[in-house]
Amino acid sequence: MMHTGCTVLLGFLLASAANAENPLQNDPHAADVGRGVFRIYCSPCHGIRGQGARGPDLTQAISGSGKSDDDLFRIVSEGSPGTEMPGFTGPLDEENRWRTVSYLRSIAGQRPAPLAGNPAAGRDLYWGKAGCAACHRINSKGGRQGPDLSRIGSARSASYLRESVLTPSADITPGYNAIVVVQKDGKKITGVERGYDNFTAQLMDSKEEFHSFDKAAVASMKLESRSLMPDTYGKLLSASELDNLLAYLSSLGRPEAGK
Amino acid sequence: MKLLALSAIPILLIAADVTTQRLATSQDDPASWLMYGKNYGAWRFSSLKQMDTGNIARLTPQWIFQAAGAAPIEATPLVFDGLMFFTGSANHAYALDLATGKALWHYGRPVPKGVQGCCGSVNRGFAALGGKLFKVNFEAKLVALDSKNGEPLWETTVDDFNAGFSTTAAPLVVKNQVIVGIAGAEFGTRGFIDSYDADTGKRLWRFHTVPAPGEPGGDTWTNDAWKRGGGSTWITGSYDPELNLIYWGTGNPGPDMNGDVRPGDNLYTCSMVALDADTGQLKWHYQFTPHDVHDWDATEDPVLVDLTIGGKKVKALIQANRNGFAYALDRTNGKVLIAKPYTKVTWTSGMDKTGRPVIVPGQEPSEQGTVSCPGLGGGHNWQPTSYSPLTGLFYFGTTDGCQIYYKTGQQYVKGLWYQLSTTEPVPKSTGAGSVIAIDPSTGETKWRFETVGTPSGGMLTTAGGLLFTGDRHGFFIAFDARTGKPLWKFQAGGPIVGGPVSYSFQGKQYVAVAAGSSVIAFAIPAK
Repeated sequence: MMHTGCTVLLGFLLASAANAENPLQNDPHAADVGRGVFRIYCSPCHGIRGQGARGPDLTQAISGSGKSDDDLFRIVSEGSPGTEMPGFTGPLDEENRWRTVSYLRSIAGQRPAPLAGNPAAGRDLYWGKAGCAACHRINSKGGRQGPDLSRIGSARSASYLRESVLTPSADITPGYNAIVVVQKDGKKITGVERGYDNFTAQLMDSKEEFHSFDKAAVASMKLESRSLMPDTYGKLLSASELDNLLAYLSSLGRPEAGK
Repeated sequence: MKLLALSAIPILLIAADVTTQRLATSQDDPASWLMYGKNYGAWRFSSLKQMDTGNIARLTPQWIFQAAGAAPIEATPLVFDGLMFFTGSANHAYALDLATGKALWHYGRPVPKGVQGCCGSVNRGFAALGGKLFKVNFEAKLVALDSKNGEPLWETTVDDFNAGFSTTAAPLVVKNQVIVGIAGAEFGTRGFIDSYDADTGKRLWRFHTVPAPGEPGGDTWTNDAWKRGGGSTWITGSYDPELNLIYWGTGNPGPDMNGDVRPGDNLYTCSMVALDADTGQLKWHYQFTPHDVHDWDATEDPVLVDLTIGGKKVKALIQANRNGFAYALDRTNGKVLIAKPYTKVTWTSGMDKTGRPVIVPGQEPSEQGTVSCPGLGGGHNWQPTSYSPLTGLFYFGTTDGCQIYYKTGQQYVKGLWYQLSTTEPVPKSTGAGSVIAIDPSTGETKWRFETVGTPSGGMLTTAGGLLFTGDRHGFFIAFDARTGKPLWKFQAGGPIVGGPVSYSFQGKQYVAVAAGSSVIAFAIPAK
């Protein structure tokens, strides 16, 4: 920590730090090595080429976002609060985090085209006809059976969200698989996983009540790689309604959403 | 060593040193656990039988020690003379009072800035000789501690962590030598096995697992790829005193996923090497996976057992290899006796007459991604295995499944990641695994306990007919070793990764295991 009596100088230094450029920007190997780091630590969520999966498409999300290298470094280091993006200060030293930033800059292409839909109309659909709030929460309102969507627009690409709405079981957020338990009296209980191991299962049913089971005390219990969300939204919603809903979901958690 | 043990009348324990004779006969000392694999053959079998299949349901925790800042604990604790010695991650180590689980001393050294490793600053335990304990620190250093108080007696640099080297394995004491393995094949290093003088820390010999040009095996590399050839030795080997051979498994060639820059078989990576214990000279080798491109290290425990195969008695070395095969080798010469898959395998159609795997084309990583089985972590990873002479079975955890393997290009830069890509899960696949028991003389699976997710813990068998292991969900489990039926379990509150141990203290059998950042000791209470 630098100590100085000159407030003006300190302010300048802080401003410079906030807009710090990548110290490895002239290193010819930085992006190359950063790609190796990315493939190990980042590709599980962002895809092997950064084109997005559970995490956003970074080839599109960075350009035009106004994020400086320092912003990207901070996200890589500390994660993105409110999303599943963790910080990598532990596993990656400072140089490797900067190399990751170098690689991200090297793959950043054009900013994605604005979505066709109308977010305001999508909001009405979400809270009305589509019934999404029965299972999902946004800013502390709604159900708990599905993932909280308060910041889903900053955590998922639009194409991923489209797939999630139309084919909910295509890729399931960890912790939201279905558990089906058949008790010894034949009674079947289905719910969202809260825990599942070699000997026990914990689930939340559609009334948001918790159940805990001992494998030895039931007829069967199974974790199923499927979502409990209906897969009928392709039929329930028209193409334009779907665009509106996706425009609303994509706006959640984005700073420009309020504009 | 002197220790006042808690009891109605304080007892003065007079400890004897851990001598080479005591190490050589460690299987006959069931009260103690003197080395990583219990005995030189790495059986992890305890002759204690107070706990058995009939009374194990009453097993109860006796104490829990919380080692703050030391998770995950991957170590196998050592136990002797009233104390338990174990190591945590980030260069922590402890001596615990067996009566109470209280720490009597703690050793700690900050990990220097810039040390890199593939998988965290983990550590797998101590070795012991005389009044000394030996451990590696993450920054590629070997230290000798005074077992009375944890004070360092000497410290020696194994290699340069700035070049990508690190150390995680428990050392192996052979005669007056401390044998040490190295990690770092993901960083363009050249692997080795080292011997150090137990009294002084002076290096006695080094066996390079990647030969230089002109040396035997050097022609299995092209250009200067050998300089970055990998072949780490990050799991403790075993030792046959009669043959005077040290057996040690070697890791993947570097770079892991792209073999284009290293045409050839890439000896002695993904191999078992047998070294003269006095000189480190190579006596024989067997390469399980020539020119590996799937990161299938062959570092898994080399377990030494005498088997009858095809009616013939053989001195065997058995191993659950990461490439999906269970092997039995003749440990006098390295010939393959048994090679049988224990999980789904797509990279080979089997072994030819010489024991060399016949490669299936098109299974290597690609820019577009190639589905291959087993996955990157292999069918079985590093976690300790166990052989029970009571059942004649060999026990280990398996990961059953495939992954998409990618490769890429990258220029080598000293000390930096040099893996050249990675893997992704196959869509819609879920992690699956099992705890299995195989007959090592045939490779046949005798029982299989399917698990939710992949197994995480090491194995321990006992003369009470029990198999102990733990899982990633925190359950510590006792199985009937003959049938695979779970007989008892305890939710320990943290993933169980290392190897359980059994010992006796004041006439009572205990079993202890690390879970998360804790160590827990269990016993059967008096009725």
